[in-house]
Amino acid sequence: MLKSVSVPRHDRLPQPTTDTCEPMTGQQSNSSQWEEALTFVALQRDKHAYAELFSYFAPRLKAFGMKMFGNEQQALEMVQDTMLNVWKKAALFDASRGCASTWIFTIARNVRFDMLRKKQSRKDDISADDLWLNGEYPEPQAADDAAQWDNQLLTEKLAPHFAKLPPAQREVMEKVYLQEKSHQEVSYELAIPLGTVKSRIRLALDRLREALDGARN
Amino acid sequence: MAHAIKFHPGMTLLEQFVDGSLSGDVALALAAHIDLCPHCQRLSQDISADLGSQLVQQNVKKTNDDWSTMLSAIVEQPQLSKAELSANQRSQAAQQSIVVNQREFILPRALQRLAANHGKWLTLGGIATAKLPAGSEHHVSLLYINKDTEVPQHTHLGLEMTLVLAGKIVDENGEYGAGDLLINSPDDTHTPRTLADEDCLCLSVLSAPLQFKKGLTRLLNPLQQFFY
Repeated sequence: MLKSVSVPRHDRLPQPTTDTCEPMTGQQSNSSQWEEALTFVALQRDKHAYAELFSYFAPRLKAFGMKMFGNEQQALEMVQDTMLNVWKKAALFDASRGCASTWIFTIARNVRFDMLRKKQSRKDDISADDLWLNGEYPEPQAADDAAQWDNQLLTEKLAPHFAKLPPAQREVMEKVYLQEKSHQEVSYELAIPLGTVKSRIRLALDRLREALDGARN
Repeated sequence: MAHAIKFHPGMTLLEQFVDGSLSGDVALALAAHIDLCPHCQRLSQDISADLGSQLVQQNVKKTNDDWSTMLSAIVEQPQLSKAELSANQRSQAAQQSIVVNQREFILPRALQRLAANHGKWLTLGGIATAKLPAGSEHHVSLLYINKDTEVPQHTHLGLEMTLVLAGKIVDENGEYGAGDLLINSPDDTHTPRTLADEDCLCLSVLSAPLQFKKGLTRLLNPLQQFFY
């Protein structure tokens, strides 16, 4: 069921993307071997490397399929389709952009989605290819992205100090920064000289800067 | 992009999208949102990585399954070359635009294929709608709202998802620009409208017909099929 409703902000900050494919627990196999194996499959049609991948992933995919379908025949069909795609499309795998496990998971997810929708060749239905980009989105411009987050974090940090500004300064700041009015407009609205608007802004900015510096220590 | 996306799907919905358990119509709205939203692109990558490592770390019992037939059948198949694979992707990426009210819009990747076969535009006042061929049980359509137009106040018998694709709409709860995803449940009543100088194109996903609430607009209820 859908309980989630559109919210203005995520309830969790994005985790930094992990650079390694090592499993957190470290008990299982050494995970980077799967990236190497897939790369060999892609570059040299390496059947031996593929057989290793296959014997590790096929039983795990089957267990995953059993959970999803509750039916062995369909689970096996999913394993076959998934592992066939891994073989045929190995050239699409890019170890610099993610783990082999992530890539194989997304293939299995797509195969399962299309099996459940039983459409395969029908044009008039939503398919996994519509939903999930085949490949990766371009890296967002890191600077913009970070700036956006910095902004949001800064806004969160500023908000409590904003409330503590002297009322006259806060009034001007709200009009300028939240309602995005020009200094001239604010001057008209509050019937105060333009110079006063500017000096209240300077004072308020100083206070905020001080409050933030204080918070940092 | 000047507009910073403010309305995102919640984390639960995003997780269900990535693991593939959402129904197709709801998933389509999320996919289109993600196409427009670098922030959710990164989150969904992180969720995929998480689910992928769960797959790897899953413990399986030793069984007597004999995989050799499947394995040898697979490696008999030819592999696809990088050129073939990227040719495939390029044709997928062919950008197509749609035209409504003499305005041209480029749609997000997720909607490209379906929108190429959209139904006829039906117009009522400043509002036009065209169904996307998203399977018979789905009510997925493009919704164009001309500038300075109000969609009569309505409530939802089911879930209503609206993704702004271009332009802006406002309702009682806020202002929504390109990429913003609005989800209204059966309890919400709202009156979306466009601004005086800007029209709006949305993707609309409905799980049940709208019901119009106020005065004469209740007369629209027989016309609810128009919106559904």
